[in-house]
Amino acid sequence: MEVRKTERPDQQTVLSLCQYTLPQILFQQAKELGTKKIAIREKMFGIWQAYHWQDYLNYTRQVALGFFALGLKRGENIGIITDNHPEWLFSELGAQAMGAITINLFTSSIAKELTTMLNRIRAAYVVAQDQEQVDKLLEMKEQLSHVRKVIYVDPTGMRTYTNNPWLMSFKELLDLGTKIDATQPSLFEEELWKGKPEEVALMIMTSGTTGIPKLAMISHRSFTEIARKWVETAPIGIGDNWISITPTAWIVDQMWGMGVSPLTGMSMNFPETPETATEDFREIGPAVIITSSRFWEDLASKIRVKIADAGWMKRKLFALGEKIGGAVVDHQSQREPVPSYLRFLHWLAARLVYRPLLDRVGCAEIRAAVTGGHPISPDVIRFFRAKGLNLKHAYGLTEGGGVFQVQPDGEVKPETVGKPLPRTEIKIAEDQEVLVRTPSCFVGYYQDPEATKKALHDGWLHTGDAGYIDDDGHLLIIGRKEEIMRTKGGEAISSDFIETRLKFSPYIKEAVVWGEARDYITGFINIDFGNVGSWAEDRMIPYTTYTDLSQQPSVEDLILGEVRLVNTQLPKPMRLQKIILLYKLLDADDEELTRTGKVRRKFVHEQYIKLIEAMYSDLKELEVTGKVRYRDGQVGTIETKVRILTVE
Amino acid sequence: MKAFRGQPSVFGCTQPTDRQAELEVKKIFLSFGGVMALYDVDLTVRTGELVSIIGPNGAGKTSLLNCITGYYHPQKGQILFNGEEVTGHHPHEITKKGIGRTYQNIELFPGMTVLANMLLARHLYCDYSIGKAALFSSSVQKQEVHHRQVLEELIDFLEMQPIRKKPVGSLPYGMRKRVELGRALALEPKLLVLDEPFAGMTLEEKEDMVRFLLELNSGWDQTMILVEHDMSIVMSISQRIIVLNFGEKIAEGVPEVIQNHPEVVKAYLGETTRF
Repeated sequence: MEVRKTERPDQQTVLSLCQYTLPQILFQQAKELGTKKIAIREKMFGIWQAYHWQDYLNYTRQVALGFFALGLKRGENIGIITDNHPEWLFSELGAQAMGAITINLFTSSIAKELTTMLNRIRAAYVVAQDQEQVDKLLEMKEQLSHVRKVIYVDPTGMRTYTNNPWLMSFKELLDLGTKIDATQPSLFEEELWKGKPEEVALMIMTSGTTGIPKLAMISHRSFTEIARKWVETAPIGIGDNWISITPTAWIVDQMWGMGVSPLTGMSMNFPETPETATEDFREIGPAVIITSSRFWEDLASKIRVKIADAGWMKRKLFALGEKIGGAVVDHQSQREPVPSYLRFLHWLAARLVYRPLLDRVGCAEIRAAVTGGHPISPDVIRFFRAKGLNLKHAYGLTEGGGVFQVQPDGEVKPETVGKPLPRTEIKIAEDQEVLVRTPSCFVGYYQDPEATKKALHDGWLHTGDAGYIDDDGHLLIIGRKEEIMRTKGGEAISSDFIETRLKFSPYIKEAVVWGEARDYITGFINIDFGNVGSWAEDRMIPYTTYTDLSQQPSVEDLILGEVRLVNTQLPKPMRLQKIILLYKLLDADDEELTRTGKVRRKFVHEQYIKLIEAMYSDLKELEVTGKVRYRDGQVGTIETKVRILTVE
Repeated sequence: MKAFRGQPSVFGCTQPTDRQAELEVKKIFLSFGGVMALYDVDLTVRTGELVSIIGPNGAGKTSLLNCITGYYHPQKGQILFNGEEVTGHHPHEITKKGIGRTYQNIELFPGMTVLANMLLARHLYCDYSIGKAALFSSSVQKQEVHHRQVLEELIDFLEMQPIRKKPVGSLPYGMRKRVELGRALALEPKLLVLDEPFAGMTLEEKEDMVRFLLELNSGWDQTMILVEHDMSIVMSISQRIIVLNFGEKIAEGVPEVIQNHPEVVKAYLGETTRF
């Protein structure tokens, strides 16, 4: 497929930039690229508003001096609770320029979670997105005595709050900075150049599937190093587009916004609102994208559902395209030459089917699409690769500074997570744990030397994942080391392996599989409300809520059919024998998922132990009372009956 | 940047004289055959006020609004807007004078997008010829860009970004009400007349709407007349309330006074009910 020309950043320049801190790199880039290139785009008022590198630096400078005027001292911590907007970058780099350490928190967190985290880091200042976040903080103000000021970004609805001296608008912060700049023009640079690249720049919450999240301290050097790895391996050019859609508290957008973008001159793009993200994604047409596996799973099922609704012609063409693409991918992964007739058909299908389809979902410009975070079904990778989208599996850890393991172009194998990026070493410990040694590695956990000692031995990072290296040197991840189950018969089973295959069904949103020390495998299933909903509507099946829909007999049959299909692809001991369609979606607010969307198995196990036990008894039906926690902290109950379904 | 929201550079930045909205309704009478819809009704609205009109069903609230906006012509009495006589004028003439309104039953074009519906309101400010429009000359271009800017500021204010290009027919009821408010605002009216903007809305939609109206009134100095049945909303946001019953004005005053007014309690809320 033809792609835009890239203007590769000069390796020498990148290398020379690596000796600076992140805000210092921004300073250099503003000197180099100035107003020639666009650094940030944000959609507002229906059009993309652009900021040059010079604007980027100016705003960062104002924020930095604003913080200075407020009394920020070097080494203090700042909490940032913002959505994906330029203000996030300005606040983070601005604070770092003054020697502060930043921590991004999830805007979806409830007040208690935010308070716990802010208490732990003794945050001196908090940058909050809007009224919603400010309200959460005000509610907990008594416990947040160490927070000297809360700076809110969006002034909407804040008219009545203006008398509160604890609060301050982002605009006031900028004005404060401008005022200081006018009287002490050299102050910013003096403070900026005090920074050392080996100092801690920011902290990132690890997902914490077990217990409370730990805070990984990342130095400026970790990020410059990981950014350098990406420049060397991925087709990144100056002015290429990155679209910021994952939460800013997550490593991926941190790595790109703080590391790769300043270092390479890539533009950061911010959607108008979270609801318009899909549309904005298409308008930007990003060149590189790293997202969670869920993004691709959702996209694949959305495409399938849309195609099923499309006309006869489109359906036939799509099916034909699938066949051709699948055949090509098979040849490629076996490293066989693709026959010329197939190459021609593939070329034809690319023009008739793949490109129009990818354009519709905004993926036509993508040069490298990467999925990470959670194991993804090989079927999803195959699905997109068959359409000519360069989707690869990657592997990384917050503690490793981000993604450090990617499948190289030309040797993509759907089930592996590829080879290490430059200057990264991988080895497998005796108990199959994956160990990594890389210069982009984190400094340690915040105020937790014990956990740090456990994770870091002689420079080797213990990932906690079990895996092995295949004959081609590709790494395969089996699953979390602690989540490898052994059935009563002694078979080692990875729950992830089964769950990712289940989740490839467009009708299954989430699956949690059980079987530790049991006779057979069972599972919980969350149906996909949107897709199952439209399936039910097409068949004139009436339903009201999620709970109601999930307990419809015809839906049960539908899901059973999907599970049977998955069972045929699994070795015998891994096959599911009984399932329950859960009456509610697993949710981060109920602590069942982490904020990045991973299942907290131990917690779910405790919460639903009755249901699990029921699947290992002769019960056919069970009455349950479930709890649902709402955003405002209220707890509601659901009373319903669940049926235990047997998969023949 | 989001930090600069709520500071419209086009909309709401007009001179104070452009915001002037002094409405005076003097002793109007309106009857349909033998039915007396309005009987000797007076109403004064000053610039920057948020005045509510309440009353039981059939009290004549919408009739009064229709008289103000030119849909009905009162048989007797006078309506003055900014000192100018507007009695008996047609709706389009009154719109030009600076009175915009929304309707009890939504009056949008369901097949058109939100943007197109709102853009329609801007025809008031288009003064180019068909020929120039066909050629899309630079002056036309400039005007069109300006119109779009006004609309985009309203879309941002009303938080309608995700539905900007959706056909109105596909939107839920509460959203359509919001679009209608947006269209009325696109007229840049001096006086905004709202006929039951909260009817049929969910609690959350009502909360959003209240927020918009308050922000409009206090932030952008928008003068408003509101007809509404939801008492808790009326009492909490109005500066002054007028009560109609069977076409007659029975009370007028600040919410606290109206709440305890014996006539109102008797006529409108039943003998023993208090709120």
